[in-house]
Amino acid sequence: MTNFTRRSIIKAAGVAGAGLVLPLSAPNIIRSARAADTVKLGCLFSSSGTMANIEGRLNFVVKMAADEINAAGGVNGKMIDVLTSDPASDWPLYAQIGKQMLQQEGVAALFGCWTSVSRKSVLPVVEQSNGLLFYPLHFEGDENSKNVVYVNSPPASSVLPAVDYLMSDEGVSAKRFFMLGSDYVWPRTINKQLKGYFASKGIAETAWKEEYVPLGFSNFQTLVNQIRAFADEEGGQPVVILTCVGSSIPDFFREFINQGIKATDVPVLGLDVVEADLEGLDTAPLVGHLNCWAYLQAAEGPANEKFLADWKGYVEKNAVPYRADVSIDPMVSAYDSVHLWAMAAAKAGSFDVPEVTKAFDGLSFDCPSGYKIAMTAENNYVSRGVFIGSVNEAQGFDILWQSEDTPKPVPFSPFG
Amino acid sequence: MLRIAAVLIGLIFATAAGAAPLERDPTLRGLCGNAAASGEAADRLLSATPTLSPDDLAFADAAIGGLLSKKLVCPAAPTDPVALKADTGAVDLATGAPLAALPKGKAPVVSLKNRAKFERLAAALALLAAPNAAARAAALEVLAKSAADVPADLFAAAAGREPDPALAARISSVADLASLYGTDIDKRVAAVARLAEGENRRVLTEIEALRADPAYASEPAFAAAVDAAAAKVSGAIAIGNAAATLYNGLSFASILFMASIGLAIIFGLMGVINLAQGEFIMIGAYVTYVVQEGLRALLPGLLDWYLVIAIPFAFLVTALIGIALEASLIRHLYRRPLMSLLATWAVSLFLINLVRVGFGTQNLQMETPFYITGGIAIVGDFIMTWNRLFAIGFAALTLAGTWFLIRRSGIGLDIRAVTQNRDMAGCIGIPTRRVDMLAFGFGSGLAGLAGLALSPIYNVNPQMGTNFIIDSFMVVVLGGVGSIAGTVIAALGIGQINVLIEPIWGAVAAKVIVLALIIAFLQWRPEGFFTVAGRRK
Repeated sequence: MTNFTRRSIIKAAGVAGAGLVLPLSAPNIIRSARAADTVKLGCLFSSSGTMANIEGRLNFVVKMAADEINAAGGVNGKMIDVLTSDPASDWPLYAQIGKQMLQQEGVAALFGCWTSVSRKSVLPVVEQSNGLLFYPLHFEGDENSKNVVYVNSPPASSVLPAVDYLMSDEGVSAKRFFMLGSDYVWPRTINKQLKGYFASKGIAETAWKEEYVPLGFSNFQTLVNQIRAFADEEGGQPVVILTCVGSSIPDFFREFINQGIKATDVPVLGLDVVEADLEGLDTAPLVGHLNCWAYLQAAEGPANEKFLADWKGYVEKNAVPYRADVSIDPMVSAYDSVHLWAMAAAKAGSFDVPEVTKAFDGLSFDCPSGYKIAMTAENNYVSRGVFIGSVNEAQGFDILWQSEDTPKPVPFSPFG
Repeated sequence: MLRIAAVLIGLIFATAAGAAPLERDPTLRGLCGNAAASGEAADRLLSATPTLSPDDLAFADAAIGGLLSKKLVCPAAPTDPVALKADTGAVDLATGAPLAALPKGKAPVVSLKNRAKFERLAAALALLAAPNAAARAAALEVLAKSAADVPADLFAAAAGREPDPALAARISSVADLASLYGTDIDKRVAAVARLAEGENRRVLTEIEALRADPAYASEPAFAAAVDAAAAKVSGAIAIGNAAATLYNGLSFASILFMASIGLAIIFGLMGVINLAQGEFIMIGAYVTYVVQEGLRALLPGLLDWYLVIAIPFAFLVTALIGIALEASLIRHLYRRPLMSLLATWAVSLFLINLVRVGFGTQNLQMETPFYITGGIAIVGDFIMTWNRLFAIGFAALTLAGTWFLIRRSGIGLDIRAVTQNRDMAGCIGIPTRRVDMLAFGFGSGLAGLAGLALSPIYNVNPQMGTNFIIDSFMVVVLGGVGSIAGTVIAALGIGQINVLIEPIWGAVAAKVIVLALIIAFLQWRPEGFFTVAGRRK
């Protein structure tokens, strides 16, 4: 016992501490141990910071898709090797790690970004190195780079059909709109386009209201009061179009429930609301609120059954720290991305970005959503189906409406 | 065969009740159809409710309840019966006969428009047939909101059947609202007065619209009634709005106060810039979660009271962590504020990642017990939400406890003595080391309590603490470092100003303006609202 002087304890603690810290301070990019004769793909999804909970799971989906392709013999005789990283929800870090992956690791393609601001940060890097970025989120459109594949839908094929549905007799004949969003580029652009769209439909300017809150905002009392006041005015059925992101979404819904507003009084169309946002909420009082994506977990068909079973198996086999029974649109879009890339590379017989890009024309893939998604020579957008979901009691979404086929994507909105 | 039996049974009951029987199977097939067909079936059913036999009412209630709770199974094959999932097996809904197996099919997804219809229908059925008076009264509230869409004879039928005279009178009163747009001017005047009992913006909109009614110009009595009603309702709304602003400000202030009171002790009294304060809040919330899960496993009957039961745990666990941190790290850095800032920042990152490894990054599923669910309408459009009231009450109790401990207890006296003059306190025999440790533990424990109070309002995840750290420093510095009264006043001021500005210039501007105001104030009074003589270095 007498040997335990203060100094020796500090020393021991120091050694133990160093042991703990060293593996964590290893280089940012985690390579898997694979021999030569591989082709590298890079992931840019945060597993720490504000986006960790929803973005982190996409790393595993990309790996799962790569495993699938490898099991079937790889691409052009090479096995796929997936490099992951952690940009830590720090937007400039996406660009830095993206650059490292493209220039030092020589990845054939990048898969990454959730928020538009992270994509905007990586964009100059991929354009400069003539790389290829697959972006799996639905977004505000108004961008068309030859180095980015927009796997998910621009507003014209996601938001506008959902708003049309709300305005139709089958929906709720919505006449008035309260647009509430987080204060950054995606909500502001979406709302700008929506206002243009409303104007084109002859809806008066008094019939909408626009409010923004800072990212991470949580005190929604006053805003929900404002929504109630807006709803009580004359002029027809009001709806809320919610473009808040991250932790603001559950906080908003909690206040909405407590002030006693039901979906049948004022429905909320949550454009960034996914199943994972409802974790930790009692969704019984939220039943009926809406979202719109290019995939919902409840999609019917063998492709989705297979995807859900594969994901469950993958999670259990590899002890992935995410729920095995939750599947969200960006996961499926990331999965589609890897397959689209592999098909294009196989078609081109090469991993060179210009060759692969040329091969996009005419590609199609059986997406788990049940739609045959396709690409054309016109641009790097992918045509996807449209789903409108309705919150159910089990923290998930039921499919309220889905499009008959995949509408042609319109990159640049005519409405703003 | 089954269908014939159903019709026969229906007929028998119908004759007994003297009303037309409900065609059950077509009704069910209609409800199972597409959105339009389903909505039509609901409309037909609603207009038929006043004349339905008790048996048909029970059937309709089961069908609509099943639709809304997704227990109704619409068969894929048109020959299979529409079934209702029961606790054991399934029943053929039209006949009530048990089914050997659930037919192949699925629960229909109810569209928003139809959901409103079904909810109205369910309320109509409950008003007519629910066994307890509270359920009937609740149903009446739902129907009163959309009285225009409810068949007039429904209220007459319900009032006739209602055994509770008070409720029967209320039903007739709602029914009388229908005469608002009738021709009998006396009835209309009475209806306006009844309408004005509602005292909310929806009612005001309706009353204002009556000014355009031809009767407003031709009938002075009607015009006077409308004017009086509008004045009464808008008065109530004005009071309600003022109350709502005060309440929202108070509730925001209570959150700010809870988040910063621990820091007021640690930073204010001890001069330690503790950047891990937010993580103590987070740990308090996680302890609350662990207590909740423990209760769920061991004493499920007490689960609803986990927020109360967790109070000592949240306080003690975070206090012990605080004491351990003080003893191992902070006490070496008392004379080096910059180092203590960096060290506590490292501790904060360490705690975040420790929790992330232990619990994962997702939001925790906190139960919402009945006493913090929903709210109560007070006056006008002011709804007092229970979870905010819980936070306000909790903050008030914490304030009382803290004040008592610092101002009235022995250890509080020691803390104040050490704060004012450490060397002199040491000279007269106060164990300054122990006082430091206890004060730090107390400050950490208060943060733990904040975590508990905030868990029903905010998302509980490893990141949650970082949201509070800036706000809590803001409150403590504005209030005057080391002053509990200052902390209270600063929290109240910031909360109220935020709530006043928000509806005018928006939430983003509110934040900017509040920060600008604080900077301006600190230029004028750098020491904050209150100053305490202390060891400022």
